[in-house]
Amino acid sequence: MATTYPRRIYTSFITNIVDIPSRLVALLCFLLLLLFPVTRPGTLLLYVLTYTNIIAIFAASWDLLVGRVGQISLGHALFFGIGAYTTALLYKFYALPLWATIPLAILSGASVAVLVGFPSLRVKGPYLALVSMAFPLILTGLIFYFREWTGGENGIWGLPRFFPIGFFTQMGFPYSEALYLQKIAEYYLTLLLLLASGILLYKIANSKIGITFISILDDEQASKSCGINTTKYKLMAFAITACFASLAGAVYAHIITSIGPASTLSVTLSFLPVIMTMFGGIGTIYGPIAATFIIQTLDLYILRKVVDVPLEWHPLIFIIIVVIIIIKWPRGIAKFVTDKFEDLQEARELEERGKHIWKREKKKSSISKG
Amino acid sequence: MILLALISIWLISLNPIDREYALAKINSVIVNGAVSGPLYALLALGFTLIYGVTGVVNMTHGTLYMLGAYMFFAFGPLGFFQLEILPAIVLAAIFVGIVGSIIYALTIHPIIEDELAVLVVTVGVALILQQLIIIGFDIAFKATYLAIPTITLAGLPLNVTFMGVKLASSSLLVCGVSVVLFTVVMIFISKAKIGRAMRAVAQDREAAMLMGINTTRLYMLTMAISASLAATAGIFIATSTTGTAEPSMWLRPLVISFAIVILGGLGSLKGTIVGAFIVGYAENAVIILTPAGSTLAGAVALAIMVLVLLIRPRGIFGKRIEME
Repeated sequence: MATTYPRRIYTSFITNIVDIPSRLVALLCFLLLLLFPVTRPGTLLLYVLTYTNIIAIFAASWDLLVGRVGQISLGHALFFGIGAYTTALLYKFYALPLWATIPLAILSGASVAVLVGFPSLRVKGPYLALVSMAFPLILTGLIFYFREWTGGENGIWGLPRFFPIGFFTQMGFPYSEALYLQKIAEYYLTLLLLLASGILLYKIANSKIGITFISILDDEQASKSCGINTTKYKLMAFAITACFASLAGAVYAHIITSIGPASTLSVTLSFLPVIMTMFGGIGTIYGPIAATFIIQTLDLYILRKVVDVPLEWHPLIFIIIVVIIIIKWPRGIAKFVTDKFEDLQEARELEERGKHIWKREKKKSSISKG
Repeated sequence: MILLALISIWLISLNPIDREYALAKINSVIVNGAVSGPLYALLALGFTLIYGVTGVVNMTHGTLYMLGAYMFFAFGPLGFFQLEILPAIVLAAIFVGIVGSIIYALTIHPIIEDELAVLVVTVGVALILQQLIIIGFDIAFKATYLAIPTITLAGLPLNVTFMGVKLASSSLLVCGVSVVLFTVVMIFISKAKIGRAMRAVAQDREAAMLMGINTTRLYMLTMAISASLAATAGIFIATSTTGTAEPSMWLRPLVISFAIVILGGLGSLKGTIVGAFIVGYAENAVIILTPAGSTLAGAVALAIMVLVLLIRPRGIFGKRIEME
């Protein structure tokens, strides 16, 4: 058996990844990102990509909640902010090390998500979207009110880094080189976290739980009558996505080393995963990740460094592109690309079913409103 | 009732000086709440109209409000044409109405079937519009923070004292405008031919289409009316509160108007009035009665909204326009 084991891994690798074109593309993209620091990019580009990795985790987690369970949330920054603030406050008051605060941040994100998920059990459709938008704003108000502890609008400064600079200088690198290596190490850390979260989210979305999620998106009443405890599964969806979103927030806090309500709880941050997911393809998990890489590098690097555009024009350009894409291809660019690659009948059928579900959802909501 | 009893017991238990102080505070809450109710209702009127008729959650509302204030500056005494106040208000409202219908035709109409896509696209359009305003006014006036002209009525003093509370007369003017516009919109919806068509479309779009109503044109018209209401709200509220037009002024009106509208029930005009008064009173109570309360004001409005929704998931009046 021992001799066949590597062979089995090899065949499963071939059949599960290389034979499916879109997964091969994903693998190649990942390898490209993995080998990217070999070209010794500038610190700005490295920073942009590190930030992009974090936002990609955040966007993918939103996609699981909305694309697979149908709970439209416009306040996803709440979980990001909870993650960031938990780790920062634990460091500030108890001086706990990184490896202890980040799991605690994830835990608190998940428990807040269960609390926040309760309104979603009663509120539906556009009501839920607008209600969820309120939560980060409420938290912002509380942060401003308890400014002795949270620092108000100035936030919390001087958080520890993942790889302290001394770690590299002890290894014999000069200081400037050590600074650069620190950035590269952070880049790899976030990239691996992105890979792990992406695979985990994709696995969850396609597991038995994920199928139950889709049944809730499809028809909640029907899945209830099939004996599915939809309350439990909806709260579970909130908790799972909040885990990943607060992980992103906690990692962000330790990469940037300073957090504030403007950077972790803003409305813009809540809208970011929405834009990414609609651009990349809703319900796909890999779509928002791809979209984040396209949009973030376009916005933060290409428009700033490669093409010299005045600063006020940046949001304008990339939002116009996103709006046009949403109107042109409502199913997102990732769907468009995979359809081009894999001319599979099954995928077509699934997509048709997906469209059907969305239409039916729309019709149902308009009937119940009238 | 219990709350009132508790408050009166608390008042009796205080010594006379403290009691006078507390009574003055309570007076101030009552009067300021009564003034900010109509103001918030005016803010939410356009938002509730567009949702009630078309079912579109219009996230550009805040930006249209901001555009109204900016265009008022551009048309007004300090702007390009140096018009009088009244023509400037009318022109700004009409301009924003046209912008609103263009936005509807270009971006919302192609995807109106998909609720989520509409939400996202209107967010995108809001951000685009905001950037365009900033860029445009930066080029035209070399500034994005603009002091807009004040609107005064002849014969009205600058401040009015009512029940021992000093009020700016401009905020009373806002109340008057709000009452007038609400009455006009309600009469329009219930009596006018287009208003009846709007109710028909809100009830059942396909059936209305079969009865020969041009729904696309009607939706564009509704969007235009809603946008000009947003602009009017922007002009009057900005003059009476801060007196300036600034790039960040879109978020708070948007948040407040959706809190009000959800509180009252999406798309219900009566619900909007009730929701506006609840939010107005709650905010003033928090600002006046708690220390450093102004930081909590927005959070309180939203927390009340969440609590009300837990009890009544479709708001206080969970009906759309056609049912009223």
